[in-house]
Amino acid sequence: MIIAERKPLNEILGMLSGVRKLLVLGCRGCVAVCSAGGDKEVGLMAAAIRLGRKLSGEPIEIHEDTLVRQCDPEYLEPLAEKGGDYDAVLSLACGVGINFIADRCPGVRVLPGVNTSFYGANLSSGEWKEMCAGCGACVLHLTGGLCPVARCAKSLSNGPCGGSQGGRCEIDPSVPCIWQQIHDRLKALNQEERLREIMPVRDWTTAGHGGPRRRLREDLLP
Amino acid sequence: MKGDIVGFCCNYTANVPAEVLKEAGLVPETLRIRRLPCTGKLEVAAIMDALADGAEGVFVAGCRVDECHNLTGSQRASKRVAYAKEMLKELDLDPGRVEMIFVPRGEAGPIIQAAREMKTRIAGMDDAMTRALESEGAEQSK
Repeated sequence: MIIAERKPLNEILGMLSGVRKLLVLGCRGCVAVCSAGGDKEVGLMAAAIRLGRKLSGEPIEIHEDTLVRQCDPEYLEPLAEKGGDYDAVLSLACGVGINFIADRCPGVRVLPGVNTSFYGANLSSGEWKEMCAGCGACVLHLTGGLCPVARCAKSLSNGPCGGSQGGRCEIDPSVPCIWQQIHDRLKALNQEERLREIMPVRDWTTAGHGGPRRRLREDLLP
Repeated sequence: MKGDIVGFCCNYTANVPAEVLKEAGLVPETLRIRRLPCTGKLEVAAIMDALADGAEGVFVAGCRVDECHNLTGSQRASKRVAYAKEMLKELDLDPGRVEMIFVPRGEAGPIIQAAREMKTRIAGMDDAMTRALESEGAEQSK
């Protein structure tokens, strides 16, 4: 899922300068699961903004709502109609939702309430870790299911760098070297031979280096 | 009311009503007790709302860690109080405006002490709330 985290309150209050009527808008997708932008976080954000604005002597009218998703057009229709009634909409969705509102709801001034961080897994309550870089050219069949693009600090394709020491990454010794883990895992699976396959130089255009990515499926188009 | 203090107390730690304590002169007149079935039920938003609604200090009284009626309720509350403190810092507020206390069941003494300590503590603070209240007072006296 997409992992996000709340922006600092002073940054948010700065964005809201001059705003008198605000909609704090959550999303029940990924950001709700990672406790950054669901119903509960909408309530907390609204309470914090109310307190912040009280302290600065600038009262604010705040409405709260949470959409099923902010990245599907059907859920944005009511916002396109009524969103213009607010001076601003503070979205707690990931960057996708915020962009989509900006595209679909031209009369709405949308602001980000969270920083979109990465694609990650939930290790335990309150702990998330990056597992995928969304590079568009998956090589997990060669690496025992462990991603060197997302989990190697240098995104190396053919084994560890010279800085890997004792199975730890030189960039951050608290992080295991993913190439050491790939080796250990393939060995345990009796697939060490996979390591002899040389991955060619990557074509990073699929990772967004060739501009914004788009996908079409003719069979699903209206 | 100036100097308002809100105490979120669990059902097992605050069994003496605030009115009784006030009548006996044991706690500040400005204390408001909000009872919860368990402090583990307390959300950070409730703490922020209490401050936005006029409280100058908030304390949360939960069971002692080793005798919480709901096992981990007061530990959860303690983590939420810590998070609320972080949010207060971001708003240029003294994090000491919110405090967690762990109280033996059925004893009013620690609640009385917490209310008194909070009253003294907020009187000595210099943060965004102090300045907002001073400026509000100056406006009213014009």
